Amino acid sequence: MDEHYDVIVLGTGLKECIISGLLSVDGKKVLHMDRNGYYGGESASLNMNQLWEKSHGKEKKAPETLGSSRDYNVDLIPKFILSSGLLVKMLLHTDVTRYLDFKVVDGSYVYSSGKINKVPSTDTEALTSSLVGLLDKLPLRKFFIFVQNYEENNPATHDGLNLKITTMDALFKKYGLRENIVDFIGHALALYLDDSYLQQPAHDTIMRMKLYADSLARYSKSPYIYPLYGLGELPQAFARLSAIYGGTYMLNKPIENIVFDEEKKIIKVTSEGETVTCDKIVCDPSYFPNKVQKKGKIIRSICILNGPIPSADKKFESLQIIIPQKQVKRQSDMYVGVMSSAHCVCPKGKYIAIVSATVETNEPEKELAPAYALLGPIQEKFVYISDFIEPIADGTADNVFISKSYDATSHFETTCEDVMDMYKRITGKDLVLTVHPNILKQQEEAGNQEQEEQ
Amino acid sequence: MTKGRKIIKVVIIGEKSVGKTSILRRYVDKRFVTLKPTIGVDFVMVSENMVTLQLWDTSGQERFRSLEISYYRGADYCILVFDVTNEKTLYDLKLWRDDFIEKTEIRDPILFPFIILGNKIDDPNRVVTEKAAIQWCKDNIGGNLTYFDTSAKDNINIEQVFKHISNQCENQPQSNEIPPEQLISLTEKKSNQSSCC
Repeated sequence: MDEHYDVIVLGTGLKECIISGLLSVDGKKVLHMDRNGYYGGESASLNMNQLWEKSHGKEKKAPETLGSSRDYNVDLIPKFILSSGLLVKMLLHTDVTRYLDFKVVDGSYVYSSGKINKVPSTDTEALTSSLVGLLDKLPLRKFFIFVQNYEENNPATHDGLNLKITTMDALFKKYGLRENIVDFIGHALALYLDDSYLQQPAHDTIMRMKLYADSLARYSKSPYIYPLYGLGELPQAFARLSAIYGGTYMLNKPIENIVFDEEKKIIKVTSEGETVTCDKIVCDPSYFPNKVQKKGKIIRSICILNGPIPSADKKFESLQIIIPQKQVKRQSDMYVGVMSSAHCVCPKGKYIAIVSATVETNEPEKELAPAYALLGPIQEKFVYISDFIEPIADGTADNVFISKSYDATSHFETTCEDVMDMYKRITGKDLVLTVHPNILKQQEEAGNQEQEEQ
Repeated sequence: MTKGRKIIKVVIIGEKSVGKTSILRRYVDKRFVTLKPTIGVDFVMVSENMVTLQLWDTSGQERFRSLEISYYRGADYCILVFDVTNEKTLYDLKLWRDDFIEKTEIRDPILFPFIILGNKIDDPNRVVTEKAAIQWCKDNIGGNLTYFDTSAKDNINIEQVFKHISNQCENQPQSNEIPPEQLISLTEKKSNQSSCC
């Protein structure tokens, strides 16, 4: 240590690791530290010993009936990756895909009228699904065709509307779509947490529906992919990118002191008695409690099951359940993600179901009852309530750039938007996501090989 | 990934500046380049006889003992490197071996194959003899060990290390448990198919 860095990054959460990787590739001198002895911070995947210790302390030990600790890679923040979403674009931009393996999530369900229904993944399924009543099929089909054809810069596709002005509610009414269909579209396809989008201009909702459709078309089955060994692989992959380009990594480094030298315009960071300096700090909210504010709470309940959940297709080894707010008289949606040994996140025969929701009452876990009812017997449960935290300032004044904590959405779009926004503030440049030259070369070679085989 | 061919993941660990990257470079590029502490080397696939070796370098994260679990995951061989001019780098191999075992899912550490390399034997300041190194490793690490004296600079025994691995692996079943066809490829060009549910 005892060096000067362009940027010191604190905390190895996914956002911090992406930024560390990007800045190192840009040629910045980066030091990345974490007080924990593992990568991932709040977005880590833990083995059973780590998970047990987190909730029970160091005294007790996990029961042997749970199986080998190292077989577990349990996400603290449950999310799925949209196949055409921003995170995939970031993976392709940085060529970090080479460190990761993915599988498609087997299916997605939406809770409606007291039971779960599979979200259709093919036209045939859509036509036969009980989610859509007979009288709704034709208006819905017209609406989907409109969405599919809509191009922001082509007025001929706008059906005489300005979707930057017309609300989504008005658009739904124009197509004669009834409340249950609206609920399905807004929550199971556009993936909104609540209904505030209805009074917003329709453009964003249309773009989200198109993202869902693109993602679904990419691999079929569902619009989601998920890495083997859990989401904790993602920060590790981006950290390796940073290291390849010269980033320095230090785990097990508690931060004792951070001093701002106004005269020299540098920041001094002290860990274990050693001090280094930098121009800028990037960190997760836990490193600067006085520079952040709380904006609500999120409950996450990690449930270990001894078999597939009874209400879904038993063959599904991974799936999502969306519980729209209105179905259970809430203000925002609840999500369940179910994973198994197929994705190497638990021993064979076990399943992990993670329920997440925004806290709305003084009894958060009771709010999860409708989700628990879908899971069947729960062998073990780990319940966490976290604050949703945002930085107070944007960092341009003091050169401390703090990420938001992870929200209750079931995907990574908001995570990536925060990263892109931070990158802009840190560097002054937009992050333009393009496919990495190495990958373009691979694709070209693959294309040539196909032609030779024909 | 290469289809049909057995893929063997090999990780190489040890203290900084013992020559890990130079060893890989010497083997892969057939040339020796004096390097600054590791910059820009990642992993590389090399065909050797009937197997493909997937060789992983540490990318510098070992300097402060900050290797990720995913770096180690799925390794079929672990190469431990020390510098024969620096006794401490030999003694620290136990820490590296323990780090590897803790972070991987190895069922039986005694059977797992480790290869110990005493590098920089070209240096006249050698202080650890081959005999002493082998004895120390047997006493302090134990298990399934193979030792080589090496010099990345003078290209001594580098080829032999990796031939040893490929020869050992040729007759063993593929260790990967995930059927490759279930994995998706993010880097494939998007298909033209479209659907709207």
